[in-house]
Amino acid sequence: MGGYGDVQMIDENGIRVDGRTAGDIRPVEIRAGVIPVADGSAEVIWGTNHVIAAVYGPMEAHPRKIQKQDRAVLDVRYNMAPFSTTDRIRPGFNRRSREISKVTAEALETVVLTELYPRSKIRVEIEVITAEAGTRCAGITAASVALADAGIPMTDMVISVASGKINGIVVCDLNKEEDNYGEADLPMGICANSGALVFLQMDGDLSPEEFQQAWDYNMEAIAPVHVLMIEALEKANGGES
Amino acid sequence: MAAPPVPELLRAHLAELAKNDERLDGRGRFEGRAVEIETGVLARAEGSARVVMGDTIVLAGVKFQIMTPYPDRPTSGGFMTSAEVRPVSGVHWEAGPPSPEAIELGRVVDRGIRESGCLDMEDLCILPGEKAWQVILDVFALSDDGNLFDAFATAAMAALRTAVIPGERFDVGEDRPLPVSKKPMMCSYHRVGGRYVYDAVRREEIGGAERIHITLGDDDHVHSLQKGLKGAFTADEFAEIMDHARQRCAELRNMIE
Repeated sequence: MGGYGDVQMIDENGIRVDGRTAGDIRPVEIRAGVIPVADGSAEVIWGTNHVIAAVYGPMEAHPRKIQKQDRAVLDVRYNMAPFSTTDRIRPGFNRRSREISKVTAEALETVVLTELYPRSKIRVEIEVITAEAGTRCAGITAASVALADAGIPMTDMVISVASGKINGIVVCDLNKEEDNYGEADLPMGICANSGALVFLQMDGDLSPEEFQQAWDYNMEAIAPVHVLMIEALEKANGGES
Repeated sequence: MAAPPVPELLRAHLAELAKNDERLDGRGRFEGRAVEIETGVLARAEGSARVVMGDTIVLAGVKFQIMTPYPDRPTSGGFMTSAEVRPVSGVHWEAGPPSPEAIELGRVVDRGIRESGCLDMEDLCILPGEKAWQVILDVFALSDDGNLFDAFATAAMAALRTAVIPGERFDVGEDRPLPVSKKPMMCSYHRVGGRYVYDAVRREEIGGAERIHITLGDDDHVHSLQKGLKGAFTADEFAEIMDHARQRCAELRNMIE
């Protein structure tokens, strides 16, 4: 984390640089069925973040060595488009995107009923078109909607959000500016119905009280996003969800 | 790109349709899909566009970097095109380093723009021999239902023509629009059912043979040609599609600011 303590990001009334209060998330828009050639797809606009996810499959898993005899494998790729950031990103996989792909796959494998599709593969492609901070969270959320849009059976939907700390104050859903000067970041992937966690990372410095506050903000943030996910799926799939 | 199993049934069906001069989606031989162009769609790019042609959707983003001019051209900037066809855009596109198909796409789009001279490389010079702008054009497929070539080329022109050189961010003068003096446009033809059709959809590509890409600048000047895939064509066939390309490139040109 940056940890520049002297930059004031929250005013005396607790208002953040973009006008939000501590517990507010950025404006969120969700659409399903945005990629016509995919089996399922979704677009999540979360603040300035713009993330698109596509699902292909279930299909035969090849090469054969990746097959699991009792379930499907989730082949997840998280990628940032070259024009998604202020400084262009050179195309290609890097360590960061590999790690995010891995933990995203593990989060989604927990809710997808993979045992229904032995020896097959479900491809989940997450593309960050515009990045603001919190792209991995938006990616997991978009992938959840895309899987549902593809009709893949799941026990629950995963919504991901991060809380963090700036100027010693815990806030929900850091934007880019806040993230640059932030002192901690706690992204979580939470199941909408069960409340269970399937994704968790953290870096920075949080006291036990701050940690609890960040945790609670994340838990409280998911309900309105879940409503948007269901609305998007209903709209894309003619009323049924 | 994974080689799709050769669908003989599809091939036979396309040949049958061709006998009555028909196509899979009811279009005429030289009838293109409706083209939607939207600019300013990428918040982090200095110029951007989204092009939708039926179920084919692509993005183009323009970014700028500061480069040291090449020693033999100390007063010239640079231009680079990179095409990304990631597996998000279709089940037939696989992960990994750029496939030969994606590289061909980027290079053909690049040539049409570069050779038209629409970008004034001297104008991109900041300090002779030391600093110049490099224009980087990234074309990116979201959904591939055929004819990524034309979609990329159209998005590229729309993005370039709305691009702003970010002088202030790099502390080298004021922001100013990137001058793009011409509008080279591309038209692509695919041999389907024995004859050439314009703007093939993915299933026509799978069941088709060779393809030809033509980039024409203002005043119908030819700036780039590419024949791809296995197959041969006659001079008469080429004359026919060139005739159509002249007319269609002019129409496309009018859709771009």
